[in-house]
Amino acid sequence: MAEKLEDLNLPLTVVTRIVKEALPSGVSISKEARTGLAKAASVFVLYVTSAATNIVRNKKRKALTGQDVIDAMKDIEFDRFVEPLGEALEHYKTMASARKSASMKKKDEQEDTEVIEDDWILLRLEFKMYSGA
Amino acid sequence: MATPKSEKDLHLPLSRVKTIMKSSPDVEAVGPEPLYLVTKVTELFVMDLAKRAHKNSNANFLEYKHIADIVQEDDTLDFLREIMPRKITVRQFKEMMAKKAAKNGDDSSEDSSEDSSEDSSSNNEQE
Repeated sequence: MAEKLEDLNLPLTVVTRIVKEALPSGVSISKEARTGLAKAASVFVLYVTSAATNIVRNKKRKALTGQDVIDAMKDIEFDRFVEPLGEALEHYKTMASARKSASMKKKDEQEDTEVIEDDWILLRLEFKMYSGA
Repeated sequence: MATPKSEKDLHLPLSRVKTIMKSSPDVEAVGPEPLYLVTKVTELFVMDLAKRAHKNSNANFLEYKHIADIVQEDDTLDFLREIMPRKITVRQFKEMMAKKAAKNGDDSSEDSSEDSSEDSSSNNEQE
């Protein structure tokens, strides 16, 4: 499990963008503050993961679900994130099922094409037979 | 067919978040759904902390100490205390040490007076 140290850090540019969007325009942020927030974010990922993993283990399951992450918020006293995460989960499920039906539709269309081609080949063969070639 | 980028799209890279999650002991597979939510909540957390620090700053310049103050004062942020300590100047550190030494000096007979030659430019805050 060889992770390079930088792999455990979140990109500073992305963190800066998130912070800038959250604050009113015209606010400047020191580099040290930005680095601190990026590190805090990484630690937070671990903290949430650990809390959610505890929930999963207590329920005798293995795989993390989205709901486990939401339930973890109450354990770590971040109740204020429960509602926005609930909305995010709904949004995610909608996106996921839309993607699924889009790819299934694509698959159906491909099958239709193959069926049409097969019919066409059969027609040509029949034609050949009847025309006595 | 262009998909409009909604505010719900994530900024943080999923792969990196996944790497961090997997470095945690006892984590087995991380599916896309929990990964999405962990990434999302981390973004919410950063925004939340930044906003609180900004309120703490009363100015248009957000500095490290504004964040460190919040972390040290809010118990729900205990998990951050080790990585975001408050920073003190060398002078403050010397004063702290002097106080400690004076306190110990009451219990023993050691002469604990320090040679206090502080230079006013000493400051261990990194820029």
